[in-house]
Amino acid sequence: MKNSILIAIREWKERMGSRSFILLSLLGPCIILCFIYLLFAFGGSSKQHWNVLIVDPTGIMQNRIISSEDKSISYSFADGYIEMNEFANGKKYQSFDALLEVNEKVLSNKMGFVFYRDSPSIRMQTRLRYHFERRLEEVMVKEFTSLSLKDFRKIKQPMSVYFRDVYDPKNESSDIGSWVGFFYGAIIFIFIFLFGMTIMRSISREKSNRIVEVILASVSPNQLMIGKIIGVGLSALVQFIIWILIIGLGLYLMRENIFPDMLDAANVNIDDLKIQSENQSYQETIFASREYNQFIELIYNRVQFFNMTAFFILFFISGYIFYGALFASIGATMGSESDGQQFIIPLIFLLLFALFSGYYILNYPESPLGDILHYLPFTSPVVVMVKLSQGYYGPGHVYEIYLTLIVLIISSIIMLAIASRLYKNGILQFGHRVRLKHLFKWLAKS
Amino acid sequence: MSSMLEVKNISKSFFRKEALNDISLTINEGEIFGLLGQNGAGKTTLIRIINRIIEQDSGSIVFYGSLITKNHLSQIGYLPEERGLYKNMTVESHAIFLGRLRGLSKKDLNYKINSLFERFGINDWRKKRIEELSKGMAQKVQFVCAILHEPKFLILDEPFSGFDPVNVDLIKQELIEMKSTGKAVMISTHNMKSVEEICDRAVLIHNSKNIKEGTIHELQTERNSGLYAVRFQGNMIAFVNALWTGFEVQDKEVLGENRFIVRLKMRGDSSFEDLLKVIIGQVKIEAAWEVLPSMEDIFIDLVNSNKLESNEE
Repeated sequence: MKNSILIAIREWKERMGSRSFILLSLLGPCIILCFIYLLFAFGGSSKQHWNVLIVDPTGIMQNRIISSEDKSISYSFADGYIEMNEFANGKKYQSFDALLEVNEKVLSNKMGFVFYRDSPSIRMQTRLRYHFERRLEEVMVKEFTSLSLKDFRKIKQPMSVYFRDVYDPKNESSDIGSWVGFFYGAIIFIFIFLFGMTIMRSISREKSNRIVEVILASVSPNQLMIGKIIGVGLSALVQFIIWILIIGLGLYLMRENIFPDMLDAANVNIDDLKIQSENQSYQETIFASREYNQFIELIYNRVQFFNMTAFFILFFISGYIFYGALFASIGATMGSESDGQQFIIPLIFLLLFALFSGYYILNYPESPLGDILHYLPFTSPVVVMVKLSQGYYGPGHVYEIYLTLIVLIISSIIMLAIASRLYKNGILQFGHRVRLKHLFKWLAKS
Repeated sequence: MSSMLEVKNISKSFFRKEALNDISLTINEGEIFGLLGQNGAGKTTLIRIINRIIEQDSGSIVFYGSLITKNHLSQIGYLPEERGLYKNMTVESHAIFLGRLRGLSKKDLNYKINSLFERFGINDWRKKRIEELSKGMAQKVQFVCAILHEPKFLILDEPFSGFDPVNVDLIKQELIEMKSTGKAVMISTHNMKSVEEICDRAVLIHNSKNIKEGTIHELQTERNSGLYAVRFQGNMIAFVNALWTGFEVQDKEVLGENRFIVRLKMRGDSSFEDLLKVIIGQVKIEAAWEVLPSMEDIFIDLVNSNKLESNEE
């Protein structure tokens, strides 16, 4: 074990000193932060101002929706109906981003249609919907009640029926929360792939420059392989910690400095605000809270980062050993640095399948296939992360996460045993083109 | 001399291909031993078995009287033929890493690195990265790393390839020094001249088998063709007349005006002393010696004769 530690330390130092490691450690989290920033700042949209043409032949919205209402949207009214084809291709309509159709049946079916050229951002959708609903509400109050608008809004109660899991009454595990689990799982597999490839390249490089023979005169092939897996794994863990720190710091800074208003909005009770007033600043507050509330709540409040990170590390380590052993055995059996690519492709497919299984669980959390994928060592790291974020491991299910972990650990040990045999028999074979028959031969050989 | 390493009836096959067939040899303390053979003869396989990198199918290896194990590796040094280095490590950190793997403590390593780096003139490069070194420099570092833990038994696979003559001499002196302190060295090489120069004994492996083993002198005298050479100044006719019927001139080499080397064979019962007696006074003798076959000739001869035997079988 002492020799494995020496090899691991050397490997770790080499990785830590490499430019690609430093670059990925800093760039990776920055890219994720940029992505979050863009989501916050633009809500997925690039266009901040829209021209909307309202087709309202019966004049229901006339003089109700006005452009000065919202700086983000300019409204214009059309005379009569406009054919969709004409709006899409007509020269005079090209300056409009969308068409809001308010037909004569709107008071009975309460439906409006927005035909857009480019898909509107969540922010724009919220504003359009809000304007349309509020103005329609005014018409309805006037047409069907004797109440003043102020009185109506006083007594108006927003009616919502929410479907909640009896084991999760606070709805801590929403769909959007599951995506966080998927994100964690994806990170595991991205790291496994990146660092698995590092193991493989490092081994094949040692083979091609023949240093391996010098090392093997002091240590056993097993010690060398385990040392390498540990060393590269440690550097992956360090990189992950750097990611966590940078992303954590970035989110903190965003919360405190870049989007303080937005965060305030998230904490406001929306329903109270709706009743209070019509003035512009409250409207903005409502918009902000509606648009960002879910995401911010998810990032800053709902995700149980500590719990998930703890299991992430456990499953990352076990999954990494499982796949790392596979990558190590491929590296050891390669005849040259360029050889062995044919074995990388199925491995990539395996990793993609694991990612897909996470996505599958996202949509079908309780399916029988999901149960199999949950225990399968190839897929369990990502599946567990998704299920964890869905709040699956409640009373009666807690044992399942530990059972899966035990299955994964046992599988990793078996995989290490297989890999060490391949490693031992393949590491000193040079210049050949690795074929499946070689692998079977080396596996059969003690 | 007591034996240090005994290879007893080692056989090894890779799937259906036989790499070693019943190889036996002994290496004594204070001895430089040559392991000779063509490419693919099985030399590297034998070296790897001694180093416990791979295991033999049958036979045993005894080191200082007990069966060799991984624990003995700290007493063995190894420099493979196709040796590599971690290119992005510094010379010093590379030496520390390999030394630690060989079981040296940090304190011992520091002392040994300093003294060896000084002796081999690589002190100035210790902080340089391996990739910055020339091939010769890198090979020096490799050699130093192989002897850093002061092994009792050193195995060198083609140790002189890539070295300039000055460094070849430096390595040879180091090996001779090791030999004088009772350590043993095994050299696997195709460089027969260096075998003649520094090896005490040698074994020739051909087609996975041990076909000849002995001291260098034994191997040379065994194949001796009775040829003698005389270098002299004087008249060639006078020299030939003096030989009369007791000796037969094989060839001559003109070194300059009235200066020659003549190679000749004895006839009948004539001896080297008889030869000297008849030519003294006739010419000015500069040197006279028994012409022994070079190791290269012996190697080629043995391999060829073995090929013939194999074909006849």
